[in-house]
Amino acid sequence: MSTLTFTGKRIVGGKVEGEALVCSEPICFLGGVDVNTGMITEKGHQLEGKSMKDKILVFPTGKGSTGGSYLIYETASNGMGPLAMLNRKVEVVTAIGCIIAEIPVIDRIEPDPIDVIKDGDYVIVDADQGTITVIQK
Amino acid sequence: MELNQEQKEMLEGKHGDPKKKAMEILVQLGEIYGAKRMVPITSVHMAGSSVVVAGKAGTKLVEQMAAQGGEFVPVTTLNSGACDMASPGVIGFPEDLVKMQERLTNAYCEMGAISYHSCTPYYSDNVPKPGAHVAWGESSAIIFANSVLGARTNREGGPTGLAAALTGYVPEYGFHLDENRRGQVLVKVEEVPTDINEFGTLGYYVGQICGDRVPVFLGIEKAKMDELKMLGAALASSGACALFHIVGLTPEAPTLEAAMGGLEPEQEVIYGLEQKREAMAKLNKAPNDHVDMVVIGCPHASISELQAIAELFKTRRVKKGIQVWILTPVTTKALAERMGLVKIIEEAGAQIVCDTCIILAPMKEVMAKDGLSSVSTNSAKLAHYAPGQWGFNVHYGSLERCIESAVTGRWK
Repeated sequence: MSTLTFTGKRIVGGKVEGEALVCSEPICFLGGVDVNTGMITEKGHQLEGKSMKDKILVFPTGKGSTGGSYLIYETASNGMGPLAMLNRKVEVVTAIGCIIAEIPVIDRIEPDPIDVIKDGDYVIVDADQGTITVIQK
Repeated sequence: MELNQEQKEMLEGKHGDPKKKAMEILVQLGEIYGAKRMVPITSVHMAGSSVVVAGKAGTKLVEQMAAQGGEFVPVTTLNSGACDMASPGVIGFPEDLVKMQERLTNAYCEMGAISYHSCTPYYSDNVPKPGAHVAWGESSAIIFANSVLGARTNREGGPTGLAAALTGYVPEYGFHLDENRRGQVLVKVEEVPTDINEFGTLGYYVGQICGDRVPVFLGIEKAKMDELKMLGAALASSGACALFHIVGLTPEAPTLEAAMGGLEPEQEVIYGLEQKREAMAKLNKAPNDHVDMVVIGCPHASISELQAIAELFKTRRVKKGIQVWILTPVTTKALAERMGLVKIIEEAGAQIVCDTCIILAPMKEVMAKDGLSSVSTNSAKLAHYAPGQWGFNVHYGSLERCIESAVTGRWK
C-alpha cells in the first residue's frame, strides 16, 4: 500500500474522501447518466452500468448540451451524485452543475491522475487547498 | 479575473447565498473563457423558463433561490413555458406538468421576473439599446438582440441566465467584445425573399454553411421586422449563429467595410434559385400530403402576422379534425382581441395559444391523445426541429399554403 499526492486548481471548494471511479473518456451528463441511480448509461462508455454515487469521479472532462448542468444537480439532489469530481480540464457544463450541486471539483492536476488512480483507490480531496491524497488499494 | 468591490462581496457571501452561488458560476464561466472582468447588464431573457427544459432539478433550484431571498437586478423576461397559462387544460397538457410550470413561473416572478413567456421579448418592454450588454437565452431572441437591436449577448443557458439576473453582471468574452462581432462569411442574395417564410428559407440555407460564424448579407436591406425575426430564427437553428449583419440595414453594418471590420471574408456564398430549392427540399420531409396540424408563430406571431392570418380566415374554415395553433405573446393576443382578429380566427376553427410553443411544450402527450403525426408550418425553425424533437412529419411553405392545408387536410 502506497500513498500518492497531487495538486491542482480549485474549481468548487469542499473536503471529502471516498473510493475512486476512474475513466479516460469524457462523460456526458445529458442523456448519459440516470439521475435516479447515478448510473452511467451511455452505450459503449467505459463506465456503462457503473454508478457514480458516493464516488470520487476521475475523468478527463465533460461533454454535451448545457442542459447537463441541471442533470448533475438533479442527480445530486436525488442523493445519487459523486462526492467530488477530478478533471484534466473542466468545461462549462460540469463546472456550473457542480457549483449549484455543491460538489467539490479540482482540475489541471499535477501529475496527471487519470492513468495513476485506479478504481477502488481511497482518495482524500481537499478542494479548498487543491490537494489530493491517494491511498492505493 | 479582476473583480470590483461589489463583485468580491457577492462572491464572499455578503449579499446572501443566491448572489454568492450566482457569482461563483459567473467567475468560473469567465475563467473558462478567459474573461478579464465582469460587465454590467441591462436585461435578461431567461432560458429554462419551460419545465420541459428546466426539469424537476431546475425548478427546485429556482425555488431555492427565491426562498433564500434572491432578487433580479436588471429587467428580466421569461421565455416560452410548457403550456398556455390561461387555459392549460383545453389543449390537454398533463396536469402534473402544468402544476410544476406554475411553480417555476411563480418562483421566477417572486424574484422580479416578468412572466411574458414568449420567445419574442423585443415585442415587450425588454428592448435593449444598441451597444448594451445583456444576457439572453432562446436562440432566436439572442440572434435578434445581437443583430437587429445591436445589443451584446452570448448564448446564455438556464443556470447562467439565472446567475446574470441575480447579480446584474456577466463575464466579458465572446459577443461582448468588438473583435468577435465582425462578419466572416459574405452572402450575396440574388434570389431576394418575398415573404416571411422565404426569409426563413434563406436563413436555413446560410446557417448550414456558417456554423457559429457571423454572416454578412448583401441585397436584403429592405427586410422588415418580422422577416428579420424569421431569418435569425432559421440561422440559429440550422447553424449555431448568434449574430448576422445586413449591409445598409442593421446597426453595425452601415457599409460592407464596417460589417467586416475592415477584413476580407473567409468565405463567399451566393444564394440563388438553386440554393433556395435545395433548402426547401430539405425542410419538406413529409412522405405524403396528409396534414393533421398547422402551426403558425415560431417565433411567436406579431400583431401584423395576426392581421394577415385573420384576413385569410375571413373566407375559410378549418376542416373538422385538424388542429390549427396560432402562437403569440399574451399581450399581442389582447390587442388582437380588441381589433376583432381573435373572433375571426376562432370562428374559423383555429385556436390562439399563448405562453408556449410546440418545441417547449410536452407535445408527445398531446400528439398521442389526438393522434397527431404531421404538421404544416411557415417556420423554417420549426420545420428543422419538429421531426427530431417529436417525430412530426413536416410540410413547410408560405402562410397561404399552410392555411389552405388546414382547410383541405392536404398539402398542395
